[in-house]
Amino acid sequence: MNGTGRPGDNQLGESTGDVRVGVYVCHCGGNISDVVDVKALAGLMAEYPHVAVAKEYPFMCSDPGQEIILEDIRANRVNRVVVASCSPTLHETTFRRALQRGGLNPYLYEHVNIREQVSWVHKDDHAAATRKALALVRAGVEKATRLDPLEALRVKAERRVAVIGGGPAGMSAALALAGAGLPVDLFEKGPALGGRLLEMGRVFPTGEEATALARRLAEDVAAQGSIRVHLGGEITRVDGYVGNFEVRVEEGGSQARVKAGALVLATGFDHYLPGAGEFGSGDAARVATLPEFQKALGSLPAGKVLRWRGREIRHLAFLHCVGSRQAEGLNPPQADGKVNDYCSRVCCTAALHAASQVLDRFPGTQVYDCHKDIRTYGRGHEAYYEDAAKKGALFFRYAEDALPEYLPASGLLPARLKFRDVLTWMEEVEVPADLLVLATGVVPRAIKGLVESLKLPVGADRFLQEAHPKLRPVEVANNGIFLAGTCQAPMTLDEACAAAGAAAAKAAQLLSQAEISLDPFVVELKAERCTGCGKCLEECSYSGALKLVDRPLAGLGATPPGPEGLSAAVIAVNEALCKGCGACVAVCEPRALELAGWHLDQFEAMAGAIAAS
Amino acid sequence: MGQAAVVDPELLKAGQGNGKKILILTTLASSYPGANAVGQARLSYSPDTYIFRVPDPVMFPDDFYLQCFDKGFGGILVMSSGSDCPYEGAYQRLSARIARVYLKMKEKGISTRRLKLTTICTVCRAAFLKEIAEMRKAVAGE
Ligand SMILES: Cc1cc2nc3c(=O)[nH]c(=O)nc-3n(C[C@H](O)[C@H](O)[C@H](O)COP(=O)(O)OP(=O)(O)OC[C@H]3O[C@@H](n4cnc5c(N)ncnc54)[C@H](O)[C@@H]3O)c2cc1C
Ligand code: SF4
Ligand code: SF4
Ligand code: SF4
Repeated sequence: MNGTGRPGDNQLGESTGDVRVGVYVCHCGGNISDVVDVKALAGLMAEYPHVAVAKEYPFMCSDPGQEIILEDIRANRVNRVVVASCSPTLHETTFRRALQRGGLNPYLYEHVNIREQVSWVHKDDHAAATRKALALVRAGVEKATRLDPLEALRVKAERRVAVIGGGPAGMSAALALAGAGLPVDLFEKGPALGGRLLEMGRVFPTGEEATALARRLAEDVAAQGSIRVHLGGEITRVDGYVGNFEVRVEEGGSQARVKAGALVLATGFDHYLPGAGEFGSGDAARVATLPEFQKALGSLPAGKVLRWRGREIRHLAFLHCVGSRQAEGLNPPQADGKVNDYCSRVCCTAALHAASQVLDRFPGTQVYDCHKDIRTYGRGHEAYYEDAAKKGALFFRYAEDALPEYLPASGLLPARLKFRDVLTWMEEVEVPADLLVLATGVVPRAIKGLVESLKLPVGADRFLQEAHPKLRPVEVANNGIFLAGTCQAPMTLDEACAAAGAAAAKAAQLLSQAEISLDPFVVELKAERCTGCGKCLEECSYSGALKLVDRPLAGLGATPPGPEGLSAAVIAVNEALCKGCGACVAVCEPRALELAGWHLDQFEAMAGAIAAS
Repeated sequence: MGQAAVVDPELLKAGQGNGKKILILTTLASSYPGANAVGQARLSYSPDTYIFRVPDPVMFPDDFYLQCFDKGFGGILVMSSGSDCPYEGAYQRLSARIARVYLKMKEKGISTRRLKLTTICTVCRAAFLKEIAEMRKAVAGE
């Protein structure tokens, strides 16, 4: 065993003076130890430089497992900890907390994944798996010896949330926030709250009038004294960072500035607008989009046959996936050169809901449904398909490799939709369509100004992108900004409201204290090394995170100290604006910039340890 | 739980030998969870692979790659988050950086097949395995 200190500029902060690493190898109840020789691994690690103790245990994450670490911190003066176990995404926080309980800085911890990335993927070669685990744990120790204690960043926060977008998601978020005791500013650019609900007829799954739903939500908002509603204004800019955002809005000719600690984006979606002539679009008497049809349907008087713009509609055809699930080479590209290859998720159910209403109210109208496949996902939504089928709708499934063709009415022939039908072994079918309803999809709303001023991440599908689809589904990478509803992806009303609730809960949690605690993994500056070259400024996409400032040479801490009275341009870091991407680190030759917790010398040493294994 | 693995100590002492090892740089947001997904599905790949996780590989300067080759790594796979990258402009900067590293590799006579920039998401299991298989071939000089 070895417990000698190592030279270097990392501070221990934990008073012992020596770097003493504790290494703990977990069996994971056989998940690891059936493949990796954990006893041999711990035995070999005990001899590795700077390792004070190396142990193996059946379940390191259990209370007795964590107690072993705490005991070694107390009795063996361990001041760096490496646990080799499952993925850090599962238990890194568990072990950091254990260090904290033992009085150690939680960031003096390194997690080595020998389950998902060793024992589970190399189960047929125990020797190779054990050798790989050994190399990885050695690399983990190399990193651990170079870790610095870190403190979470603290930022004073404005206890108020700005919600942008007054549709169902924005209103739900505002109500949830107000319910959590937070004052809210709700910005809606239109003349009234309600979003797309104001343009819709009856909505699934309740069959309720969308406008009634919008009214109910808007009344609830109005009844909340703590929600300030800004209608009809245009947001011209949003600046700032977590805890300290500023929204500038032009309202009735004057500029207002609103401060907020967090932002909830609920800017919603746009309907896909078919191009001129796309599936007959433009022939308003014979072709309608689903939103147009859904809105009008409620007010059409019931009768034997549906009437549309003065004409009897004996044959009504729905065409699915218009503007969604497009394929390159088949569909013309959108303005950005890409096709909309995603599924809009709501149009199948909305189309069948409409079909079902037609069949109930206009028994003399035959309904044809032409789809790629039916995606009525969601609890109870399959019933819309069964219901429409039972009531007599005829279903066709058009081949994916060729677009259906709209044939306009000619002579005695009515307008028709022509395609090859998968359900009848690719037979060519022509379906009469006195009215063709295009189930147009959901596209991202153009919010370029917000995207640019807040540097919002946008996905390949052009919707706003969450930080992680499973682990951080309503947060973006930018701290303090949350996503509610269809600005993120196509979703139904219940999903949009659920996302809004999650976004509100996250924002409320963030602002629950006067100061916000932030992950410390942002850029660190060693000002005395900075030559003022400015290369890092060109690399950083986040304005204000880095800036060149004049500093007195004497105060820079350089050796030897600079003369009194002279100053030099050096970089200054605004930790709250830095996103921790590390782009600037790569170009800073004198290594004045490093990413806290992810120093380059740590990775160089890790690579060295692996290469030497 | 099955039988605990016991490996002949001589096999462990032998080390893995240089020149074959592949370093894989992954991102916290995408490719690291992607590599975990491969393990969760109990798929397998070459054990000569070593995964580092970082917020984004854009943090590594050009020299980092060259030093890794000097140290004896056979190949480096940079598994970025591509267009799913949560950091503005980072993917473009990373690809520009890798393009510069290629030039430096050529100057030093290192085969550019030994470095590859790819995009791997949280569920790209097949792509992850394919990239490793291809890099193994490149490292073996096939
Ligand atoms: C054809 C069709 C039929 C549908 N039918 C159903 C159904 O029957 N049942 C169902 O559950 N779901 C249905 N949906 C889905 C439903 O419409 C959405 O889930 C819902 O509208 C999402 O609400 P939202 O608040 O996210 O967005 P929106 O309703 O689009 O509201 C966003 C609001 O933000 C405002 N805004 C945008 N940008 C700004 C800005 N910069 N500043 C200020 N304000 C801004 C907009 O003016 C708008 O009021 C359907 C969707 C489609 C396309
Ligand atoms: S929900 Fe249905 S109609 Fe809409 S894009 Fe998906 S498959 Fe096509
Ligand atoms: S921090 Fe580095 S890159 Fe930025 S100005 Fe200083 S020396 Fe140049
Ligand atoms: S780490 Fe990224 S966000 Fe932070 S200052 Fe550097 S380039 Fe900017």
